[in-house]
Amino acid sequence: MSLFGAIDISGSGLSAERLRMDVTAENLANAQSTRGADGQPYRRKEVVLRQAAGGFDGALNTAMGQAAAGSTPARGVEVVEIAEDQAPNRMVYDPGHPDANADGYVSMPNVDPVTEMVDLIAASRAYEANVTAMQTAKSMFTKTLDLLK
Amino acid sequence: MELFDTVHVALERAIQGSAVRQQALAENIANVNTPGYRRQDVDFHTQLQSAMAGGPEALASTSFAPQVDDSSPMRPDGNSVDIDAESANLAQNALEYEALAQVLRTRTDIIEIAIGSR
Repeated sequence: MSLFGAIDISGSGLSAERLRMDVTAENLANAQSTRGADGQPYRRKEVVLRQAAGGFDGALNTAMGQAAAGSTPARGVEVVEIAEDQAPNRMVYDPGHPDANADGYVSMPNVDPVTEMVDLIAASRAYEANVTAMQTAKSMFTKTLDLLK
Repeated sequence: MELFDTVHVALERAIQGSAVRQQALAENIANVNTPGYRRQDVDFHTQLQSAMAGGPEALASTSFAPQVDDSSPMRPDGNSVDIDAESANLAQNALEYEALAQVLRTRTDIIEIAIGSR
């Protein structure tokens, strides 16, 4: 049924945007972390998204030869990976810092708080848009149920 | 006169088309931040219009599928979703769906009155 598909699609959008918010929050929290799990400065993380493949519904419909219109599988969006930003670390002159090198520079994480804030706003707006799409599909479905009264 | 005439079948197909379009628009909104994603849409009005000429049989066999929209401008990341336009489309499609459902409901009521079940 198409409308349930719409709700699933919006749900996948909600998960993806929430993960982006989580990762952005982690980047902001670790903007000053000079020692990560591997002893190196924290590296900025980024969520890589792609359009989801058909999933179970899609595979089943294709196998049954019903991939045609009217039974379009719920797809939505999925997370490919959480990649590390390859940008170089910021070098900050702070000779007193325990992690300073011989020249007095500290290798700080490659996190730019301004970029993170913009990403956070973008993810938050996209999340709201998905909520609206889900609410709309829900009200449409309710309207269909009214036909049975 | 048949119990369910051409208009009745057309209304049913239009509701189906609107539901498929809702799914396509939800997909666009879910992929608003996916690089390289091209927006998709369902032009069920045009399909229905051409099927209307063929009578109930042609209408009943009409099916709808999302088509990739190549005409929309792309952002630098290759994504062609405009969130404002999609939200407007979504609201418009939902209103259309509810209007169609209401008309179908009223027509069903009329038939029920005619056959004396209420």
